[in-house]
Amino acid sequence: MSDRSVSRRKQQKQWYTVLAPEQFDREELGETPADEPEKVLGRTIETTLGDLKNDASENNTKLTFKINEVASDSAYTEFVKHELTRDYLRSLTRRGSSKIAAYITVLTSDDYRVQIQPVAYTTMSADASQEKAIRREMIDLVRETASERTFKDLIDGVVEGRLSSAIYNEAKEIYPIRRVEVQKATLEAHPEEVAAEEETSVDVDADEVAVEDIEDEA
Amino acid sequence: MSSEDSKWGIAHVHASFNNTVITITDQTGAETLAKSSGGTVVKQNRDEASPYAAMQMAEVVAEDILAQGIEGVHVRVRGPGGNQQTNPGPGAQATIRALARAGLEIGRIEDVTPIPHDGTRGPKNSGF
Repeated sequence: MSDRSVSRRKQQKQWYTVLAPEQFDREELGETPADEPEKVLGRTIETTLGDLKNDASENNTKLTFKINEVASDSAYTEFVKHELTRDYLRSLTRRGSSKIAAYITVLTSDDYRVQIQPVAYTTMSADASQEKAIRREMIDLVRETASERTFKDLIDGVVEGRLSSAIYNEAKEIYPIRRVEVQKATLEAHPEEVAAEEETSVDVDADEVAVEDIEDEA
Repeated sequence: MSSEDSKWGIAHVHASFNNTVITITDQTGAETLAKSSGGTVVKQNRDEASPYAAMQMAEVVAEDILAQGIEGVHVRVRGPGGNQQTNPGPGAQATIRALARAGLEIGRIEDVTPIPHDGTRGPKNSGF
């Protein structure tokens, strides 16, 4: 049938080597075929941290990279997502202990918008007030670190677990903690996109908003 | 990636109770290298999900991609998911086994069944 034409089309395709960002030592991530270089742009590739660092103990972290630049036969990527594998998260969840999660969208010092989702597991079931306090602590810490760090440093901290251990050290004062992880960190917007949004956004008077609020409640 | 010059792919295995669909793509998931589903190897519709069909399919697919120079695959299995069953069907395990036996290296195996973070209401109990 059309088998032959498919294989002929395949022969015209060139394989591009996908390379990790500088931050991850330009490690080879894999290869992808395409007939035109433009088609490679925007593809995402997923690896584990263990693969990048040749350390099998780190295989619970998935990193996603997006291709944003193509040169002859290699494609360059940027970091877009950090995620824990589903089976690892499931193995942490246990009966009789609390899971405290938070979703925090922050702006880094160089204007990247990043969403970070830390999660803490306690040794025993915690009270709602303690959970609230720990969540508060997580949010404050993430906001603070993000505001004083660049995107690159922040991601480094997330990937290497410095951010989660910082949260651990703060939160263990409130209630005994079993484990703290950053379950997900995603790049939401680049500095240019953030700037564009700010330009198009309309200023709203503070008192105008307040008036509407009161009306809603009434 | 075990060695520098070997190409790897991703084997997406969708194993439901009614069919098994195998799609092998490059590592980005953007380019399909080979695909197969239950209907290509069995006549009876009810056999499409059987482990035997999965084995036959995996053999054909493995041969195809080995010819294309792929040496190993990472496996992503999924069941129907959503508000249906979250466990992969009978074809999943057979597929992975057959791929390995056909001489492909198997990398990571991951479950990618779609899990709703609460969506529509599930189907009513059909009374078994």
